[in-house]
Amino acid sequence: MSGKLHNAECTCWNCPAINLAGKVDFRACGQSTAEFDKRKDTSSESHIMAECKRRPELGLFDPTSITFRECPEWVESPYGYLLKNMRVMILGMDGYLGWTLALWLSKLGCRVSGVDNYSRRNWVKERGSHTVVPVATMTDRLHVAKEVLDTTIDFRELDIMDRELLKEFIEEIKPEAIVHYGECPSAPYSMIDFEHASYVQKNNVIGTLGLLFTMHEAVPETSLIKLGTMGEYGTPLTGRPLFEGMFPADAVLSWQGRQWSMGGELTPRDPVSFYHCSKVQDTFNVYEACKYWWLRSYDVMQGVIYGVHTDQVSADPRLRTRFDIDECFGTVINRYVAQAVIGFPLTLYGAGEQVRGFIALEEAMRCMTRLIAKPPEPGQYGVVNQMSGYCSMRRLAETVKKVGEKEFGLKVKIQRVENPRVEADRHPFEPIFKNLPEEFGFVQKNMLEEEIYRMFKLLTQRRIKGRIEEKKHLILPKTWWSGVKKEVERLELIENGNDIKKVKAEDGETVSVGR
Amino acid sequence: MAKPLALADNSFENEVIASKQPVLVDFWASWCPPCKMVEPTIGELAQEISDKVKITKINVDQNPKSASDYNIMGVPTFILFKDGKEVTRRVGAQSKAQLLDMLET
Repeated sequence: MSGKLHNAECTCWNCPAINLAGKVDFRACGQSTAEFDKRKDTSSESHIMAECKRRPELGLFDPTSITFRECPEWVESPYGYLLKNMRVMILGMDGYLGWTLALWLSKLGCRVSGVDNYSRRNWVKERGSHTVVPVATMTDRLHVAKEVLDTTIDFRELDIMDRELLKEFIEEIKPEAIVHYGECPSAPYSMIDFEHASYVQKNNVIGTLGLLFTMHEAVPETSLIKLGTMGEYGTPLTGRPLFEGMFPADAVLSWQGRQWSMGGELTPRDPVSFYHCSKVQDTFNVYEACKYWWLRSYDVMQGVIYGVHTDQVSADPRLRTRFDIDECFGTVINRYVAQAVIGFPLTLYGAGEQVRGFIALEEAMRCMTRLIAKPPEPGQYGVVNQMSGYCSMRRLAETVKKVGEKEFGLKVKIQRVENPRVEADRHPFEPIFKNLPEEFGFVQKNMLEEEIYRMFKLLTQRRIKGRIEEKKHLILPKTWWSGVKKEVERLELIENGNDIKKVKAEDGETVSVGR
Repeated sequence: MAKPLALADNSFENEVIASKQPVLVDFWASWCPPCKMVEPTIGELAQEISDKVKITKINVDQNPKSASDYNIMGVPTFILFKDGKEVTRRVGAQSKAQLLDMLET
């Protein structure tokens, strides 16, 4: 079995538990080593060496001489070799993903720490909504995690914009991996007005920039797993593939009869909101920090996330992760299921033919663990497109409808409403998502129907259904990219998935919905 | 399955200079995205043409002597050696077609 683990042949060169020593110099592709060497004394011919922080008695040694398979500090897990008691810090630990990952990793034996300033709770409150799956306070969450799962998580309430506090905590914990979920993840929230747009950009871009400086100063060998989004790429109408962050070497630029390999250059980004712009800026900042300082990072371009289940969050109602349904923070599949539960027609924006990648919560956790288990090499900026499949919004809605009707006896309708966003609603889409399966051993499993079933099971509980009903007036979008302030209007009601019955209002008027 | 041979400063002489077969050396670094993107191509070449050309790679940070001996100014740099002598050099990412073209010269 060992030979098959995706990180078996990684060496101390990848390991965050080493200090690099000896000849370390920072330069860019194309920066002259000859000039650099001239400035150094001739005794600096020594090689790069490693010093193990966990076993300092080994002294200095060649960083490529010991593989994870051979190292006693790396032990087998279902997700590859994992560093024993690996210290993982999660920024944004109170959120939908952060909390789920904290429990997931701590059950795998990681020493999990985390920070949060409860922004997500506050943003959702600000929009007048609430998580429809009730979540406990952090204090209670931590108590219950101990009581039910026997895991201890070290949490600190802090804002990552407070660099001094963040640095202090990082220096105290000395994490071997940092998972950065501490950003505002909402496109509509960033499009409300200038105040929201600038808040999102400042929080995301400056927060991440501060983190990069902090890692450079305090923990340069630690790997950074940074959450990006597939939305950074946009949906180019030429139909060119959405590569994983950078062009492969065989992508060639041809111009006037000459050709150049584009290998390793960042692909064009076409962000679709001011939030997405913040993510693109992050991409450049992380990319540069890896180049300048040999930080190590994976940028995770995540598809639309959905779902409610991992074994840990399902172990006790008090361990559940949040579940939002409002226009700003409810992701699309989650929102569809909530709508279906209360008989509110599932809403497609515009043509409803937008195609997006998606991934279930549990699958995302598996991917993150595999990334943590195979840290990037010094200076490596890697990108993965994290998704397990893709399809149109209409197909997703039809799948939710099918499961809701067949398994739960619900009558589910689908409607098309005006699209408040400025986006192509019919477009080609060819995402490349091979890195996770090929380099990290991730086995994609289409969990869509299974997970939708689980979501229905949870959301049809009386109390949760009641909480959806309470906030149903916040489901339909009101934030228009154009700046117009008005509710969207219905374009069409689709009674049966494939047998579309158009509801034409008299005199071609559209019908207002949602009230 | 043939894989690119990972060289080190202390094996360069034996594996490259003394080699009877032509040798392609990929000078690379882990902080260099173009180097990373060429990796799979180098792997494919090792599988496909290693009977004709020995396909090798060397990390310039871990092996500064070789990088300095061959005056590597930027990575990735690909050098084709024949009878221990440098024949062709290309700098920057290369497509598979470009590398094959280089090996034919």
